Amino acid sequence: MAKLVDVLQRDSCFQPGSTLCAGCMESIAFQNIGKLTDNGRKTIFALGTFCGEVSTLQYPNPVAWGRGEETPDDWTKSFGIMHHVFESAPSVAEGIADTAQQLFEIGALSQQVQVCSLSGDGGALSIGLRTLLHTIARGTSLTIFVLINEIFANTGFQYSPTTSLGSETSTTPVSELLPGNMTPPIDYLGLAVTAGAQRVVQASPAHPKFFNRMVEQGLSGSGTTIIFVPSPCITGWKYPDGETVHLAQLACETGFFPCYAKERGRPGELKFVELDATKRPPIEAFLGLQRRFQHLVRFNKATGTYDIRPGQEESVARIRDWIQHRLEQLQRLA
Amino acid sequence: MEPSTIIETVAGARYDHVIDLEKVRAAHRALASVQTIREADGNAAAAYASLQMWRAILFAGFPITPSTKWLETVSAVVRSGKVGAKQIKLLEAEHAVADYMAGAAAACRDLIVSTATSSVGLDHMTESTRSLGASGLGNVMLINVYRATANYPLCIEGDPSDTLAHRDDGWIQVACRGVQQIYDTILQLPCLGMHPEIMTPTMPGYYGIKDSHRSARLVMEADTAIHTFQDRWIGPAQLPGLINGDTAFGNCVTSNFFQGFKINQRERLERVFDILPEIGRDFARTFGRPGLEVVERACWPDDDAIDLAIVGMGPDVGTAAALAETESARHGLRIGVLAARLLTPFPDATYRQLLRKAKGVLVLNQAHHFGTGHLTLDITNACYTLETRPAVISCFAGMGGATVSDDTWRQMIAHACATIAKGEKLPPPIVVHEGVVLWPN
Repeated sequence: MAKLVDVLQRDSCFQPGSTLCAGCMESIAFQNIGKLTDNGRKTIFALGTFCGEVSTLQYPNPVAWGRGEETPDDWTKSFGIMHHVFESAPSVAEGIADTAQQLFEIGALSQQVQVCSLSGDGGALSIGLRTLLHTIARGTSLTIFVLINEIFANTGFQYSPTTSLGSETSTTPVSELLPGNMTPPIDYLGLAVTAGAQRVVQASPAHPKFFNRMVEQGLSGSGTTIIFVPSPCITGWKYPDGETVHLAQLACETGFFPCYAKERGRPGELKFVELDATKRPPIEAFLGLQRRFQHLVRFNKATGTYDIRPGQEESVARIRDWIQHRLEQLQRLA
Repeated sequence: MEPSTIIETVAGARYDHVIDLEKVRAAHRALASVQTIREADGNAAAAYASLQMWRAILFAGFPITPSTKWLETVSAVVRSGKVGAKQIKLLEAEHAVADYMAGAAAACRDLIVSTATSSVGLDHMTESTRSLGASGLGNVMLINVYRATANYPLCIEGDPSDTLAHRDDGWIQVACRGVQQIYDTILQLPCLGMHPEIMTPTMPGYYGIKDSHRSARLVMEADTAIHTFQDRWIGPAQLPGLINGDTAFGNCVTSNFFQGFKINQRERLERVFDILPEIGRDFARTFGRPGLEVVERACWPDDDAIDLAIVGMGPDVGTAAALAETESARHGLRIGVLAARLLTPFPDATYRQLLRKAKGVLVLNQAHHFGTGHLTLDITNACYTLETRPAVISCFAGMGGATVSDDTWRQMIAHACATIAKGEKLPPPIVVHEGVVLWPN
């Protein structure tokens, strides 16, 4: 694995010019992935529609993709990117990867290329779940990134199948009848494992060494690697900018978004999170930083911590139980 | 690898020498080393043509009646190893096929990527076909085996409602009739779609069951002859692909720029009117059979001197052509028959020229339409500026793939002749089956 300091010196294929919110985790992830792909192999990205796509590819605004201001002299530093419809990124990437592989096997292409698929959770796990799972099942050498912000962000922060229990979204507003979203999030890690991915990873740039190691393994390995990137959304989750990395770390430590890695045929490994609930930070610490959960918790000035609002104990307990159940489930996945 | 020459283009930089196309050509193994005559149905003929092109190294598909045999044939031949290093990708649904083709075609603009589908399969691809239509990826070919589109009641026989529902997807759509024309069309269309002034994906089509499953004599050309012909029209792509380029596909644009892109797309599509006949003439010179035409004169005088023109598409036009002489004598009118080939872009000017002397035009529509008929609308539009506007007589027959029998044609022709005699210009459409007017009743 390359040293972090060396990776930082590389040329990213993600450049200034995006219209993502300042401090957006997607921007941080793109920057890191962009540098990690500067590894001596030609890089091609396929993007389905998601906020990380529409905010980075809008002509005539500066297009944020490309390695450097000028055309690179070295072909391996050149960059190809294709935007296609929401659910399509894994299939598009598969078409690209197969073409390159076929040309390579014929001898018409002297070096293999690395192909990455990037989608949001709406594109990959809602409208595109079918194509995602089938692409994984076919086992093409690809690195699939799914950025999880729990909402359909570019349409205005509506419910998606990854939305946390209790979360308020544009389509699951808090009311006297219902405390936000009542549907448990889809078990995307379990689905990816079941579909047969070579590597299933959940990693955040908030844990940079782990994140980089997982991305490098994906880029250099054979078969399909899928990396879910929890992506706190400043606008959708309603938290102050500057808190993104802190929130991403808390999301892992409280068990909402545990860092996780599993190689096919080997047990999975939870990272930076305790299985024992008593050793984890209370979930109120994570919930309290975001106004989408303000109906569940409130800040206690006296203690400097977040408390459950009276009457919401059952809702918070349901979230806590879901987290514990999910962590144990991940631990058991063989 | 040789050092790359970097060519800057309007779509980013292209690194020459990264892909060695001669290696791709060398990897091809001929399906036919000499001209061969065999029996084939439409799907097999389409598959053979798809396989004989050296630029086609990757196929994608998902089975749907009545196009399935294309996929089965391509799959069987590819897996036999007879045609060299080609691969077929079997995907989970048509939408994935279209997405996959987008990625493969964008990866290398010099390769031809093809599939075949029908009916709801094409509908399922719609989200992606509309992107592809505007993508500039003329190296994508989607063979549409016509079948009634998603509808109640379900019908698996061939009518062109699927292809006609996709007129605005931005593809070059060409209708075929008969096994030989299917084969020949598929060999020519990549020359058109990949032409640097057009760069638009192509959608050849033929009737399900009537042509897809009907066997006939097929002249298969030698692969080398096909390659020589195609190489005259298809040169190395000027614009970069994802593999040999520093480039982007499918960016978003603001509204100010969107319109400019659409105008450019339309201009490229309209170049088809000039370039398609050139390719067709070259094909005819090379192989001695009719090449691509915007309209096929199935039974038509050189001086265009007819009283009643019949315009239709597909194999049932042949029945009309066979009846033209006897029906002309019966009604005392000169009857001519045209088979529509180029559906999109629609060749208004050609029809206007051909129909300028006609007193009436009988338009056969074989797809359900709540108005006067898909083809009728286009023909009416084409004739609108003629000094003497002919009557446009819209008939529906053969919907759901039903037979358009001799009696049905006779009934429609009699109705058209009566309309001309009455001096009506645009009578309400009629629906005819087995010689009986079903509607209005």
